[in-house]
Amino acid sequence: MPRELGPSLNERQFFLQALKEEVRIDSRGFGDFRAIQLDFGDEYGVSDVRIGKTRVLTNITAEVTTPFPDRPFDGPFTITTSLSAMASPSFSGPPSETEVLLARLLEKTLRRSGALDTESLCLIAGRAVFSIRADVHVLSHDGNLTDAACLGVVAALRHFRRGDSEVKGEDVKVFTMAEREGVALSLLHYPLCVTFSFYEGEVVLVDATLSEEQMREGSCTIGMNKHGEVCQIAKLGGAPVDAVILLSCSNLALRHVERMSKVMEERLLEDAKRRYKGGIKAEPSSENARVP
Amino acid sequence: MAADPILLPGDYLDPKVLPSHPSKALKLGPGLLHIPPNSIVSTVAGRLCTDNKKNAVWVEYNSGRYIPVVDDLVIATIHHSATDFYYASISDYSSNAILPNLSFEGASRKSRPQLAPGALVYARITLANKHMDLELECVSASTGKSDGLGPLTGGMVFSVSLAMARRLMLPKPGEQGQLVLLEELGAAGASFEIAVGRNGRVWVDSKSVKSTLAIGNMIQRTDQEGWMVEKQRIMAKRMAKEIS
Repeated sequence: MPRELGPSLNERQFFLQALKEEVRIDSRGFGDFRAIQLDFGDEYGVSDVRIGKTRVLTNITAEVTTPFPDRPFDGPFTITTSLSAMASPSFSGPPSETEVLLARLLEKTLRRSGALDTESLCLIAGRAVFSIRADVHVLSHDGNLTDAACLGVVAALRHFRRGDSEVKGEDVKVFTMAEREGVALSLLHYPLCVTFSFYEGEVVLVDATLSEEQMREGSCTIGMNKHGEVCQIAKLGGAPVDAVILLSCSNLALRHVERMSKVMEERLLEDAKRRYKGGIKAEPSSENARVP
Repeated sequence: MAADPILLPGDYLDPKVLPSHPSKALKLGPGLLHIPPNSIVSTVAGRLCTDNKKNAVWVEYNSGRYIPVVDDLVIATIHHSATDFYYASISDYSSNAILPNLSFEGASRKSRPQLAPGALVYARITLANKHMDLELECVSASTGKSDGLGPLTGGMVFSVSLAMARRLMLPKPGEQGQLVLLEELGAAGASFEIAVGRNGRVWVDSKSVKSTLAIGNMIQRTDQEGWMVEKQRIMAKRMAKEIS
């Protein structure tokens, strides 16, 4: 079965020569991200992240389920990734290594760092909890899926509102958005990923494009929050990297995470403003508006 | 060019726009379908082009997938070699094309170019049938000359849309395709080599990495951002100053 063509020899030589002259193919700096665009959907919990030509859509859903017997107070939080053939024809067929790695990295960054307070999802211990599910759809693949997906999931989790609930004895009632205002999820911190690509042992690139990813010797993903607390470091195979380089990477990661957090905050605020209809004053009332 | 009508899929062609030639039969190109007895329907959305000399009519449109046609010039990547052939790939996810070892200029059993997997060649398609492997050649079969075809060394490859590749290969790109970028660059004193493949790949080489990148990116931006003639002139002049 014919597969995707990797970069040709000419491209590899040219790319390495360019790196020696400190130039990247898209004329960015070595430590620069492409332009990040973050949008939210009409519904709560839908985020659309664009980093250059990479595009990731995330959707958060909640439903009431029974918890796992060994964790009666915890609401399950699952992240599923789908890399469809729409993003790149190489994704058709069974889940590829990229897809498995992406899902694992997101789990490691978000679930194991306890970003979502799963105990706050409990309604009746051992009987009913909210289960939160994040579906990550990659719409277009031009490298750096991990960072885009992680930003997408965190932004969507912050944007999401679950239906308000009421427990009366044994009964659980979940209100719709029309009946009662939704409740935001309780997030303890907002971890984001920054991926570094290594070339020739020395050169470190941030936010590699697809062709840069195909030519790299090794990569390392650092997950941290804006306070500089490292949640995970994933260095899965590839060429060995000097410890000092890794340290400088984590410093650079902090700068990018701070910047991405700021973008996320601004966009969330803008979205909240767009949705704000005027609060309690704008509620329908029985008074006649024409009479003062 | 402004008078060229825009067609949508399913549009019937007005007989008045068809070229009329006294002797030659009318040739239908890509995007048109003949429904007997005498109506012609477009199957794609695009701009109708006509050629009175050749008595040909076709639809110019931008498509995603390259469909090989005999006599097209393409930039192919060597995949692997066998005893008598190189297997080369001209686009992702399509089967390999065959490039005979001896179809290079001056190649014989003793001396033939050694190409490693991943090397680039500029080649002409000699056989393109639906259910058969493609065949390529890097030499003109009648004259034995390469005519600029053959292995490409150094340089960088940039991908462009198929429509842009066709525009770059027009005999008069300025008049027929509103494309003056390359001519302006040359006139402004930038020196570079370029090879355009119909499969949407452009190979550029020049004296430095920076100028090669600048030229390649400029071609891509002309394509993606739809630069008009004036904008191309301005940008070409500005860039030629920067790199020389």
